[in-house]
Amino acid sequence: MQSIIHKMGANELFKRSFRLVAVVLMISVMLLSACSGGGGNASSDGGAKTKDGKKQLEFMFRGSTEEEAAYKKVIDQFEADHEDVEVKLNTIPADNYATKLKAAITGKKIPDVFYIAPGEVRAYANSKVLLDLTEHVENSDAINLDNMWEYGFDSFRYDGETQGAGSIYALPKDVGPFALGYNKTMLEKAGVPLPDKDKPMTWDEFIKAAQAVTKDTDGDGEIDQFGTGFNVNWVLQAFVWSNGGDWLDETQTKVTVDTPEFAEALQFFADQQNVYKVTPSIEDAQTLDTYQRWLRGQLAFFPVGPWDVATFDKELDFEYDLIPYPAGKTGEPATWIGTLGIAVSASTEYPDLATELAEYLSASEEGQKALVDAHVQIPNLKDMAAEWAADTSTTPANKQEFLDIVQDYGRALPANNTYNGEWYDYFFTNIQPVLDGDKTAAEYVKEVQPKMQEYLDNAIQLEKQSSGN
Amino acid sequence: MGKQSTDVSINKPLGNKKPKKSKLYKKESRAALIFILSPVVGYLIFTLYPFLYSIYASFTTWNGLGFQEWNGLGNYVSLLTDDYFHKSLFNTLYMMIGIPIGLILSLLLAMGLNRRIPGTTTFRVIYYVPVISSLAAISVLWQWAYNGDYGLVNQFLGYLGIDGPNWLQNKNTVKPALVIMTIWKGLGMSMLLYLAALQSVPKMYYEAADLDGANAFQRFRHITWPMVKPVTFFLVITNIIGGAQMFTEINIMTPTGGPEYSSATVVFYIWQKAFTNLQMGYASAMSVVLGLIIFIVTLIQFRLNDKSSFEM
Repeated sequence: MQSIIHKMGANELFKRSFRLVAVVLMISVMLLSACSGGGGNASSDGGAKTKDGKKQLEFMFRGSTEEEAAYKKVIDQFEADHEDVEVKLNTIPADNYATKLKAAITGKKIPDVFYIAPGEVRAYANSKVLLDLTEHVENSDAINLDNMWEYGFDSFRYDGETQGAGSIYALPKDVGPFALGYNKTMLEKAGVPLPDKDKPMTWDEFIKAAQAVTKDTDGDGEIDQFGTGFNVNWVLQAFVWSNGGDWLDETQTKVTVDTPEFAEALQFFADQQNVYKVTPSIEDAQTLDTYQRWLRGQLAFFPVGPWDVATFDKELDFEYDLIPYPAGKTGEPATWIGTLGIAVSASTEYPDLATELAEYLSASEEGQKALVDAHVQIPNLKDMAAEWAADTSTTPANKQEFLDIVQDYGRALPANNTYNGEWYDYFFTNIQPVLDGDKTAAEYVKEVQPKMQEYLDNAIQLEKQSSGN
Repeated sequence: MGKQSTDVSINKPLGNKKPKKSKLYKKESRAALIFILSPVVGYLIFTLYPFLYSIYASFTTWNGLGFQEWNGLGNYVSLLTDDYFHKSLFNTLYMMIGIPIGLILSLLLAMGLNRRIPGTTTFRVIYYVPVISSLAAISVLWQWAYNGDYGLVNQFLGYLGIDGPNWLQNKNTVKPALVIMTIWKGLGMSMLLYLAALQSVPKMYYEAADLDGANAFQRFRHITWPMVKPVTFFLVITNIIGGAQMFTEINIMTPTGGPEYSSATVVFYIWQKAFTNLQMGYASAMSVVLGLIIFIVTLIQFRLNDKSSFEM
């Protein structure tokens, strides 16, 4: 008797809980498909339309407040020209941007217009996240390819095999030449002849100038003025390239850091600290420190990007100007150009409008003017840039150096054109002993090359797998 | 017990007929169902589904952008020989030495602040402020404090005649630096819980011990420590789980994982693989391993706690 009743009870309980579980599961599945379904943008928050029936475009943005203000102006213009469209500017902190974007892509809620780095083009294009903009750009009245930097567009071209040619997957947001600046006031005071802006220094000349200013200026026994203080992550390229070395061979499938030219350049970089002693002491490799020192006028040579100019205008109480980086064996200066692209989602509901918005952001004269006035980038339009560079009344006087880098001798960062940057990061993660002088550059490059190659092979393998699908 | 249930069965109508339920009962049970449903559904969607999906993904070559192919145990096999994974596991474990230190300090603090001395409220607030501050803000703050040139820490050491290192740029000091910060950050929380536990210890135990002539250490050893043991247990478990998931501090203070990857934690490495190197599948495999480790450690702790606990 007892056991029968127990059984009945259990049965009943089982039935009821089964029903409950079924209901819960069904609701979950429904909610889930509502979240991830639609395959489009903003579909879960009620379609890509605003309450008053306007078409809504989302632009995912990161950058400084100056940039945001400048882009707001462009967006206002765009909205004025398209009365039925509202642009939602979604500002993301820079350190979160990549994560947010990947999450948006994984969740299939891709913003209509967003930034991508050149290093992401291959993977994103292969995965069909990006809209092919080629046709639009070529037929557009608003974009005159001849009047925009080739580097900007080439960084986002991809033909399925190599980057730099083929379809355009993003419009350049900007090009960022990484020039070298020098503290004019300090060099003059120290009686060092000012470097020639048209002829790069040799490495020896550079060291001589740096040594001449490295000294104790207030007589307290501690050196408080230095030749330089470069961050290896961002400046080693200039030395390696101008010495004839590189990270990859032409096919971009072989890691070539183990060449003598490369090792020589890396050794020279480390020697600035350990042998020539023209940089702050061994423990002060942090950018923060050398950047602060440059701001305080304690360094003679320091890198300058267009994004620095606004800050330098405000903060520096000395004169500075731009010159080419000192040249190694090849006799030619070298440095890299950063860039960011404005891409359009392949799944946007309004491809034409989204593309047009990207066009406004990249190439509208008004927008470019606002950005240039904010002193945060060089103009994307060549004619405007030439005019901007010709004006030597604003600092730095030799703005032409920025344009020369973009047009003549700047290059892409090595990991821009590979599927991922793991191989490249490995090089810098383990470099500290060389900078500290505990390991020679020649030893180091021999040691890391195989591991880097392994990572690169892995990346190539992953790319093959993912694009084969 | 058995008798009781037979009694109940007598009152129950026999057969399959259900007892008629009142309207109120139905209404309330419906409301209850909805209340229960919302967290359950939330759990299913935001915890269980991603959890199960990440287990599935760990057997694939998912790149996070769309491509996904079955890879069997491939990811797990690669983990065995992945130096960075081993290094980040080691770093994560290393930085857990902050847990016992933090617990001891916070118990001492709690005992100090439990006394009737003036200013205790002020100190309680001071120690609790880091807990309510944003971790990101704290990380930026400490990044500056650890700065080799202008940092507060080195300035202070300078007064003592010690030439401090560039904490975050040196592979030997970066982990201790992070440990010190996490201890400081966690102190207030543990202290508060200990304080609550201390205040719930009945005074009569101490009085009885006094009468028996127990000294301060004996009182601590035989009354205080056993009485706060559940809190210690709780703190150890939550701290270990939290410690295994350490990420924000690392990402902000040493964005590249530190010199020679000396500060990268497992979660940092997972994040790097998933979000910057397009290896979501591989990252999922690491998450599964990390989850297993946490699960096993917690299980062991529960066992140990069961063995050593006693009823008061």
